[in-house]
Amino acid sequence: MIVQTPILALFLADLLSLFLLIPTGLFALQILRHWDPCSGHARQIRLEKRTHLVGAVVALVFLAQLLVLPLFVHTVDRMALQIVGAMCAVGTLNANAWGFPTLLLRIALFFLAAAWLVLHRIDARAPDYPFTRAKYALLLAILPLALATAAIQLAYFVGLDPAVITSCCGSLFSQGNASVTAHMAALPPLPTMVALYAVLALTLAAGLAYLRWRRGLLLFGGLVTLSFPVALVAIIAFVSLYVYEHPLHHCPFCMLTPDYGHIGYALYLPLFGATALGIGLGLAAALARGGSRRALLERSAPPLVVTASAGLGLFALLAAWLSWQSNLILLGY
Amino acid sequence: MTARVELQGVRKAFNEDRPNCLWAVNGIDLSLPAGGVTVLSGPSGSGKTTLLTLIGCLARPTEGRVRLDGRDISGLSEPFLAALRRQTFGFVFQRFNLIRGLSVLDNVMLPAYPLGTPYRRLRERALDLLDALGLGHRVEAQVEWLSGGEAQRTAIARALINDPAVLIADEPTANLDTELSLAFVEIASRLRAEGRTLLLSSHDPLIREATVVDRIVELRDGRILQDQARQGARR
Repeated sequence: MIVQTPILALFLADLLSLFLLIPTGLFALQILRHWDPCSGHARQIRLEKRTHLVGAVVALVFLAQLLVLPLFVHTVDRMALQIVGAMCAVGTLNANAWGFPTLLLRIALFFLAAAWLVLHRIDARAPDYPFTRAKYALLLAILPLALATAAIQLAYFVGLDPAVITSCCGSLFSQGNASVTAHMAALPPLPTMVALYAVLALTLAAGLAYLRWRRGLLLFGGLVTLSFPVALVAIIAFVSLYVYEHPLHHCPFCMLTPDYGHIGYALYLPLFGATALGIGLGLAAALARGGSRRALLERSAPPLVVTASAGLGLFALLAAWLSWQSNLILLGY
Repeated sequence: MTARVELQGVRKAFNEDRPNCLWAVNGIDLSLPAGGVTVLSGPSGSGKTTLLTLIGCLARPTEGRVRLDGRDISGLSEPFLAALRRQTFGFVFQRFNLIRGLSVLDNVMLPAYPLGTPYRRLRERALDLLDALGLGHRVEAQVEWLSGGEAQRTAIARALINDPAVLIADEPTANLDTELSLAFVEIASRLRAEGRTLLLSSHDPLIREATVVDRIVELRDGRILQDQARQGARR
């Protein structure tokens, strides 16, 4: 079952990523132990020379990891046709115990890789390596996550058995269950709608305030990060109902299928992109305690704040448009 | 326009960690005040050219720091180094390194293109520089047609096109006769009067004895043998 082009591509991406990340992890240890920009010691000069090459390699790996998450989701969605009982990605992910852990690890890796890329981008815009140590500390935190993701994904795909009958989204997102997802599905639409648009409005206001006064980047990053779970809950609670035009169909994955014009990708890509930028900016703001770092952020962060705000704005508009154009009457009947 | 250059414990090895490792510069501490003419002197292989490339950000030291106006420039990443080289340092190479097939004017204008100066203003500046160096009549000539002195003055004009604070010249009179060497000394005197920092490597006695020189740093085997300040250099 694993001899399929997208699965082999996922394996290859993980294999190449680890092949490049493990040596850079050793380099990161050297940076954490010996990095001292004030020193003219030969070791420091050597670290400075190599950090450019290592940084470029890690950036390449993490850019690839940003593409691996949508590839993974698309692959498990397409595989639903081969798994008995599966109607969408949920069925494929439920086919064995490693499916959802793989997805959650992939999402965590996506956000941490994006946060690293944001730090790297800002760090490269200053002559004095302000975020270098933090960047490599984060790399060391990401490395075990990348290893675990690769291992669990391997266990998941190797363990897939087309003869096993799986349960699909109907059972996972059914309002009658006691699971977390069922509780999300059971949330009342109107308060969830209000919560979603209030959080998004607050986040966009924080973004505008930062662009105007260059203050509150940490708040903006925090609000973007908070918007992500709120948006996911909202998708399960009411956006999905409007998309499927069915009052009991809460699945956040079915909207990725061709039956619904792959509209889910249009919702998720700006949401995930904006969240990734928000986490990176929040992290950079938390680390920028010194004057020079803050000045650097004031120069480097605004385009990223604009992009993250645009992503969230796009998500909000699309969610509102999907609710407005739907034939389902969820409120006021 | 002037810039202060400081070197602290600078060493540079070639083929490091190999049997044929060579320490071309081996522990240089040097402070070059803003403005003035400093000559690095010494026999072939003493480390003059390597030291110039380290100061001019053409190479990185293996150990130690180079600072420009107190700011460390030896650890900068390549984009910052490129910007610094363009805006702060002008180079006159020993063999001038003019680009064959291009005219004198194009050679002079070339280092300024990345800065995005409007073409008309850039051309005017290049023509002014060439006029000031006595090459106004040769602007359209191909550089392979130039005499040694003309090639050298073209290289100087090219080094000055971005109005650098520091001019670095590696053996600028090595292939020139006495008359042309004296002409170079005259140009150096004018640049010094403009407030630029000039750093020359030379073992030409004519340069060493020129009254325009403020300081002579004698090198041997990558180390400073003697650092001699000259009193009453011509202003």
